[in-house]
Amino acid sequence: MSDRSLHASNGTTWQSLEQLAGTQQPTGEFGPGQVTGALVDSKVSRRGFMTIMSASMALTAAACRRPMQHLVPAVKSNQTAIPGLPLDYATVYCHRNVAYGALVTTREGRPIKIKGNELHPSNCGTSSTEMQASILALYDPERIRRPRVRVGGGATSYDNAVSKIAAAIQDAQGAGKKAVLVIDEHCSPSMAAMLTEITTTIPAVSVVTMPAIGADNVAVANQAVLGVNGELVPDLGKARVIVCVDADPLGTDKLALHHTGRYAARRTPASGAPSMSKLIVAEAQYSLTGANADQRTRLHPSQVEAYLAVLESEILGATAIGVDVAGKASEATRAAAKKAAADLRAAQGEAVVLAGRHLSPKANAMALNITNALGGVGTGKVVDPANVLPNSDAKGSAVSALVNDLNAGSVHALVFVGVNPEYSASRTFRAAIVKAPVRAAVNLYEDETAAICDISIPGSHWLESWGDAVAFDGTLSVRQPLIAPMNDGIGSTEDTLMNVARKIDATLFGGAESYYDYVKNRWTTVGDWQKVLHDGMLASPLAPSTATVNAWAGASLPAGNMDTGMTVMTVPSLALYDGAYANNAWLQELPDPVTKVVWENVALMSPEAAVAMGVAESLQPKALANANGKVVSIETEHGSVDLPVWVQPGMANDVIAVSLGYGRTAGGSVALNAGVNAYGLSGWAAVGYTAAKSVSVVQGALHKVACSQDHHTLDDGSGERPVAKTLTVGDVEAKDFSSLNEHFPGAGDDGKYIKPLSIVADYEYKGHRWGMVIDMSSCTGCSSCVIACQSENNIPSVGKEQVLLGRELHWIRIDRYYTGSMEEPSTVVEPMLCQHCENAPCENVCPVAATTHSPEGLNEMTYNRCVGTRYCLNNCPYKVRRFNFLNYTDNITSPMDLVFNPDVTIRMRGVMEKCTFCVQRLHKAKWHARDEGRARIKDGEAITACQEACPAGAIIFGDTNDPESRVSKARYGERGFRVLSELNVRPQVTYLAKVRNIDGRTAGHHAAADHGAEH
Amino acid sequence: MTVAQEQQINQRGASHEEPVREQLVLGNPSMKDITARIASIVESKITTKYLLTLGLTMSMAGLGLFALYYTITTGIGVWGLNNPVGWGWDITNFVFWIGIGHAGTLISAILFLFRQKWRTAINRSAEAMTLFAVVCALTMVLSHTGRPWLFYWLLPYPNQMQMWINFRSPLAWDVFAVNTYFAVSLMFWFVGLIPDLATIRNYVKSDLAKKIYSFFSLGWTGSTRHWHHYEIAYMILAGISTPLVLSVHSVVSFDFTVGIMPGWHTTIFPPYFVAGAIFSGFAMVMTLMVIAREILDLKQFITLKHFENMNKIILATGMMVGYAYAMEMFIAWYSGSQWERWIFINRALGDYAWAYWTMVLCNVVSPQVYWFKKARRSIPLMFIISIFVNIGMWFERFTIIATTLHHDFLPASWGYYTPTWVEISIFIGTFGIFLTLFLLFAKFVPVIAIAEVKAIMPGAQPSHHHDHAHAPAAVEAH
Repeated sequence: MSDRSLHASNGTTWQSLEQLAGTQQPTGEFGPGQVTGALVDSKVSRRGFMTIMSASMALTAAACRRPMQHLVPAVKSNQTAIPGLPLDYATVYCHRNVAYGALVTTREGRPIKIKGNELHPSNCGTSSTEMQASILALYDPERIRRPRVRVGGGATSYDNAVSKIAAAIQDAQGAGKKAVLVIDEHCSPSMAAMLTEITTTIPAVSVVTMPAIGADNVAVANQAVLGVNGELVPDLGKARVIVCVDADPLGTDKLALHHTGRYAARRTPASGAPSMSKLIVAEAQYSLTGANADQRTRLHPSQVEAYLAVLESEILGATAIGVDVAGKASEATRAAAKKAAADLRAAQGEAVVLAGRHLSPKANAMALNITNALGGVGTGKVVDPANVLPNSDAKGSAVSALVNDLNAGSVHALVFVGVNPEYSASRTFRAAIVKAPVRAAVNLYEDETAAICDISIPGSHWLESWGDAVAFDGTLSVRQPLIAPMNDGIGSTEDTLMNVARKIDATLFGGAESYYDYVKNRWTTVGDWQKVLHDGMLASPLAPSTATVNAWAGASLPAGNMDTGMTVMTVPSLALYDGAYANNAWLQELPDPVTKVVWENVALMSPEAAVAMGVAESLQPKALANANGKVVSIETEHGSVDLPVWVQPGMANDVIAVSLGYGRTAGGSVALNAGVNAYGLSGWAAVGYTAAKSVSVVQGALHKVACSQDHHTLDDGSGERPVAKTLTVGDVEAKDFSSLNEHFPGAGDDGKYIKPLSIVADYEYKGHRWGMVIDMSSCTGCSSCVIACQSENNIPSVGKEQVLLGRELHWIRIDRYYTGSMEEPSTVVEPMLCQHCENAPCENVCPVAATTHSPEGLNEMTYNRCVGTRYCLNNCPYKVRRFNFLNYTDNITSPMDLVFNPDVTIRMRGVMEKCTFCVQRLHKAKWHARDEGRARIKDGEAITACQEACPAGAIIFGDTNDPESRVSKARYGERGFRVLSELNVRPQVTYLAKVRNIDGRTAGHHAAADHGAEH
Repeated sequence: MTVAQEQQINQRGASHEEPVREQLVLGNPSMKDITARIASIVESKITTKYLLTLGLTMSMAGLGLFALYYTITTGIGVWGLNNPVGWGWDITNFVFWIGIGHAGTLISAILFLFRQKWRTAINRSAEAMTLFAVVCALTMVLSHTGRPWLFYWLLPYPNQMQMWINFRSPLAWDVFAVNTYFAVSLMFWFVGLIPDLATIRNYVKSDLAKKIYSFFSLGWTGSTRHWHHYEIAYMILAGISTPLVLSVHSVVSFDFTVGIMPGWHTTIFPPYFVAGAIFSGFAMVMTLMVIAREILDLKQFITLKHFENMNKIILATGMMVGYAYAMEMFIAWYSGSQWERWIFINRALGDYAWAYWTMVLCNVVSPQVYWFKKARRSIPLMFIISIFVNIGMWFERFTIIATTLHHDFLPASWGYYTPTWVEISIFIGTFGIFLTLFLLFAKFVPVIAIAEVKAIMPGAQPSHHHDHAHAPAAVEAH
C-alpha cells in the first residue's frame, strides 16, 4: 500500500450499498478529505500480512494494487477497504470523445465491475455494453506487457524505448522534419493541455486526431450553418417527434447510451397521461433505431437525402436549401417525407430531425434547418448549440495533410497513441504510414499498427491511468485509476508521452512528476479535487450559446451524390463499434441487437436483394434461411471483401450493410478470425455509402454464421404467438388493454395470470417476495443488460463454435420478434430471463432437488447439487436455463481470472445455471439491513445488475410484497401481462406491453393467436 | 436343415396326437432328445464363427465404451445437445431399450399366467433379452447426466447432505421403476433357469464348468419338494412381474407427461408407451429368434407357429400405437391449445417430419402385411418387418423428444439438434453390449427352457412317469 493508494481511496469511495441505494454516502467515518492509515512501519505483522495476502491477488498475479510510488507495506491495511466487501470508486469512462460517469466496484484491490455513475448527466447511472465489457480488456492476458524497439525483437527497458522515441523526435527537429502523434478522439482537457504544451515547446511535434470512424460532415455542416465546428448533442427527451434520416442515435451512435435514456423517458404512456414521443425513421439499413421506429421508411441511399430535402421543403418552403436534391425524390419517398413532415409540424418546438453522420454536409445542414424551423434550436431547446461534443471538429483535412506530408517525406517519426490506422484507415493512409522512417506505437495490444512499428510501448487501460474528461454539457470528471498498470511497471500511456517529452525538454509540465500530478495541478484551479474524486463529476454549466442558425449558409455545402444501383453501407458495429475492443469475448459474443449474429460481421441484405442476387431461390422463409451463410464478394473503388450473406428483413433493396470492427489480423487471439475487415470498402471516416463496383456470389462457398436466435423466426407460425404483446397509443388513450390478457380475464394476484382450483393452498410469502417488471415500451434492445449480467454473474463466453451449437450461456437474452411483412417489418424486443415462476415447472422435475423455491419467491439453482439431467431445461417454457455442456472456464488464463465476481460461484461442466435475480446482491442488502437493525430492506436497496445497467430504465426489480415498492406499482399497471401465463406457471416477471405511436387500435389483434396452428 | 425337411417335420408334427392344433415341438422328440439337443449347444466346442461374431459385437461395445469414456471425461458437450434440446439420442436410446425389454416380461409373466404354452420355446431368450436391454438402458441413463459420477445422488440414501431425492420428479420414479424392473426380471430369469442349469451341470464334462453350473444350480436335485417350491416361487415371481409390464413403461412415459411441454403433456402416453414397448419388444425377440433359430438349429422348438403368434401380437400392438398417433393428432386439434396444435403440425411437417414419417411407415404401415397368414409365416418378411418396427419405435421416441424440444413456446429460443459421432457410437455400443451378452447367453446358458418345453410335450401328463425325472408335472397339474 502506498500514500497514493490512500490518497485515492480516502474520500473517493462510495461504499457499495449506499451507492446502490443511491444515497451516495461517503464511506462511513472516513469521509472525504480524511487521511487515515499509517505507512511508516516497515514491519509486517502477521495480521497485516494475512490481510494483504487474502485481500489481494496481487502477490500471485499481475500487480493488482492501487497505483503506487513507494513500496511501503502497511501494517494497518487501508481501513476503507474491508476484505470481502466491495468498494466502489467513481471515475469516468470515455467512449472516444463522449464522457460517461462510471463507478467501478473493486474487491480487494481489483476492479471487477463497471457501472454507471448516477450523478453524471451523460448516463445517469447506466452503462453501455462497451463500457462494461472494457473490464475484460483490463485483464486481457494478450495485452502488451513489455516495450520493444525492433519488430520481432525481444523486450527492452522502458527507458530505452522512451529514449528511442525522444531521439527520433529530436532527429526530426534537427532535420527540419515532423514528428507526428496520431491519437484517437478524446474528451480530456488535461490531455489536450498536455499535447498543446508539448507541441508548443517542441515545434517539430504535431498532433493529428484520427478516429477510426469519423463524422466530419456533421462538423462541417454545423460550422457553416451554426458556426459551431463540432457535433451537437440533441436532447431526445425534449422531442415529441424524432425523425432519423439514416441516423442511429439509439444504436451505433457514440452517444447511444445517453440518447437511449433520454428517448426512453418519453416512451411509456399511461392512460392518465397518454402522451409519448414518436420516432420516425427513414433509412437504408435496418438499424436499431429503425427497429424501434413507430414509422419507418426504407430508402435506397440515392433517395435518403432526397427524403430529407422533401422534408425540408415541406417545413421551410421557399427558404429550403435542398430544392435541387428534393427533385431526385421518387413518389414513394415524397409521400413518406410528407407524412413525416405533417407529424413534425404538429410538434412545433418539440421536434428534431437527425441526419446520419455519414450523410453529406448539406444533408446535415438541412436536418439542422428543419429542426431550427420547428423551433428546436436554441438554449434549452431540443438542440442546444452549447451542447457540443468535445474534440468533434472536422479532422479530415489534418489527416489528408498528414498523408501529404508522409508522401512528401517530411515526416520523420510517427507515434501512434491508442489508434490502429493500419487496421482501420484508408488504403492511401496505410500506404503512406511506412514512409515515416521511425514508427512507434503506444497501444494496448500488439495490433496491426504496433506490428509495423519498430518501437512499441505498452499502453494503459482506462482503469489504470489518471486522466480527466469533459462531457458535452460541460460536466467535468477526473478519471482515477483503480489498479496500477499491468504492464511490468510501466506507467500509463499519458505518462509515457510525458516521459518522451521530458527527455527532450526536462522543464516541461511545470514540474509535474507524473500525469497524476499534471492532472491534479490543473484541477487546483478548477474545483475541489477530493470532491470530484468522490462524486466522479463536477457540474460545470456551460455558458448559453449565442449561435443562431443561418439556414442559407448551408446552401453551398456539397450534397450527397449516390446513384441508384447496388450500394455498400459500412456502419459501426453495435457490439464492437470501431473494433478497438475486438479482443473482447463478451462483446464478440454479444448478439447484435438487430441481427442476433455473434462473433462476426455479415453482408446484410433485404430478402428481395438476396433473391435478385441469386443467393435465395424465393422469398419463402426457408429459402431465405438457406441464403444465410452463402458468400458474396463485394468490390468498391476502395477494395473488396468476401462476406457471408445474412438476409435482414426491412433493409432497402440494392443495399448491402456491413459492420465495421471485425476481421482483425492482429491484436489478440479472440479478435482473430472473427469476421472480415470492412474498412477496406470505404474511404476516410469509414462510415457511409460506397457504390459497389460489383457484387458476385462466390459459388459453392458456405460460411457458418453463428446466430443466437434461430433464423426460424422468419418462419410461419412464430409471429402469431402472443408472447410479445404490443399496444398502440390509441389503445392507451382509450384505456383498452383487453388485448393483453384476453386469454385470462380471470383473477390471479394481480389479474395477470389465472389461478385454477388447487387441492393445496398456495405458499404464503410472508417476508420479501421478489419480482420484476420489464417495460418493453422503453426497452430498445441495446443489450447493456446482457453484458451487465455477464459481468456480475461470471458468465463465460463460449465461442462461436458453441454458439453455432446453440449453447450460449447468457442468463438474460433479448428476444427479437418481427411483425408485419418481410419488406416492412416492425420489431418488438423482449428481454427474457428466468421468470422465477411461483409454480415453476423446472422445480418438480429435478430428481435431486437442485432447483427449488426460496421463501422469498426466488427460483434457486444449487449448482453443487446439480447432477445435470437437463430435465429442468427441457421443461422450462421460457428456455432460460443454461447448461454447461463443457468446462467453459478452463481456458481462462491469468490475469483474466481476476475479473470474476468473488460473490458468484464459477460453474463447472455438467451443471445447469440461470438468472438468480442477482441473489448475491439481495443477500448483501439483507445483511446491510440487518446491521442497521431493519427487518426488511428498503425499496431500491437491492437492484439487479441488468436493472442497474439499463439505459432505458426498463427493468424494475423489487419486493412485490411491499405495496409501496416501485415494482409493485408497476406490476399492477395497466400495460402489464405475463408471458405464457396460460401455463399456470405463475411467472414473477411482469412485462409492460410495448406501445407504438401509430394510428389505429390493437384490439382483436391477438385473437389471431392460434392462427399459427392452421398453417 | 432344408426347406423340404422342415416341411416334413411340420407335417409330422401336425399329424401327431393333436391334429387340430399345431404342434409346438416338432419331430416328436423324446424327453431325452430334448435335453440332449439343448445341452449340446452348451457342450459343443466354441466355433471360429462364434468367436468372430463375438469379436464383432465386442468391438461395437468397445466403440461405445470409448465414446462413453470420452463423454464422461470431456463433458456432455461432445454430444449435439443444445439449449432448447436438452435430451436427444441419450433418452431416445434409454426409452428404446427399456421398451425392448418389455416383451421378455410379457412372455414370461403374463403369457405364463394365461397358460400360453407356446411361450416356453422363447421365454428364456426373451427374458435374457429383457435383462440385457435393461443393462443398455441403464448405461444410457447413467451416462446421460452432466456429472455422471454423482449418479448415486438419485438414490434415496441417508447422507451427510441431509438431502432426500425429489420424490416429485418423474426421473426419481424412473430410478425406482427401472431398478425394480431389473431386479425382478433378473430374479425371475434366474429362478426359471435353476432346473436347467442343473441339467447342464449333469451334462458338462470339464470340472470347472461343472463347478460353475453346480454353483448356479443351487444344489438342485429335482426332487418333488424342489419342484414344488420352485413352481410356487415361479408363480409368485410371475405375479410380481405382471404389473411391472404395465408400470415400468408407464413410469418412463411420465418423464414426458409430467413435463409441461406441448407434445409431452398428454394423458395418452402411459398406455401408448406400454403398447409401443410390447410392440418393439416382440419385434426384437423376433429379430433375435430368427437368427438364433437358424444358427443354433432350433427349428424343432421355435416353429412357425411361435412366429405367427408373435406376429399377431406385433400386428395388434402396431395398431394400438397407430391409434395412439391418430389420437394424439386429434386431441391436439380438439384441445384448442395453439401450442399443442402447432407442435403436432410441426411433427408432421416441420424440420423433423422425416423422422415422424419414418416412424409412421415402420410402425403403422409395415405390420399391416400381417393380416395375411402367408406373411405371418414368412421368415424373410418377418425378419425385415421386425427390423422396421425396431427402427420405427426408435424414431417414435426420437420424434417425441426432438420435435417437442426443438420448437417449443418461444420462437426466439428455437433450435435444431443433430447428433455427433459420439452419440452414434454410444448407440452402436449399446447394441454391442446387448449382442455380446446375448451371444454369451446363447452359448453358456440353455437358450430354451428345457424343463418347461418338456412340460408341454404330449407325454407330460401328471400320471405319465418317464425316465427323465426332470420333466416336471406340468403347471396344469396345480
